[in-house]
Amino acid sequence: MSLDTAVQALVDAGAEFVIIGGWSAILHGSRLMTDDLDICFSRSRENLRCLARALAPFHPRLRDVPEGLPFVWDDTTLRNGTIFTLDTDLGGIDLLAEVSGLGTFDDVKAASIAVEAFGRPVWTLDLRSLIKAKRAAGREKDLRALPELESLLEAEEP
Amino acid sequence: MTPEEFKRAAERLRNPAPGSRMEAAKKYGIDLTLLISQLRLTPAERVARMLEAEQVAGRVRGAARRRRP
Repeated sequence: MSLDTAVQALVDAGAEFVIIGGWSAILHGSRLMTDDLDICFSRSRENLRCLARALAPFHPRLRDVPEGLPFVWDDTTLRNGTIFTLDTDLGGIDLLAEVSGLGTFDDVKAASIAVEAFGRPVWTLDLRSLIKAKRAAGREKDLRALPELESLLEAEEP
Repeated sequence: MTPEEFKRAAERLRNPAPGSRMEAAKKYGIDLTLLISQLRLTPAERVARMLEAEQVAGRVRGAARRRRP
């Protein structure tokens, strides 16, 4: 099992989410590897229930807190935060309610395209918005992806 | 991407125009010809290849260190 199992579980649970970050770059043709899955999620009550249910079998726990601290994975926990950096049995999964440079889930969804990947229909940022998000994030690893992504965008321009 | 769009994109990546972002990327060290290979694939194929590569990387990661006496 790997991260595609997580994507499939989320889609099958009916979760509303958009793939962002490194996997979005890969979907657009980037060759940079990534070892975690970043998704932007809707904070609607029903969606939080879907997310909690879908990922529960993979035992999510927070990556950025000392081991052993109590952590309850449920929709109430999800309601109390906007960023969750998780370790799961399938690998790292980061859940973000907002994306730098783009905004909340509704803004992100509006800047996304539907693709068939991971064995399911999924939503991911369009290339222009992905570049905007990476630039806004501004971390070294985000900026490193820009030359490739901008080349892909330029090559595909009409 | 239509075959015509792919052909145009591949040609641009093979011969980036002076002053273009592609030329800057090439100077930065990006092998643009590898992006042509990526554009030939569907998003699902790109994911599958990356997952395969990750699995291989996971299996061999640290092998050189483990080999040390």
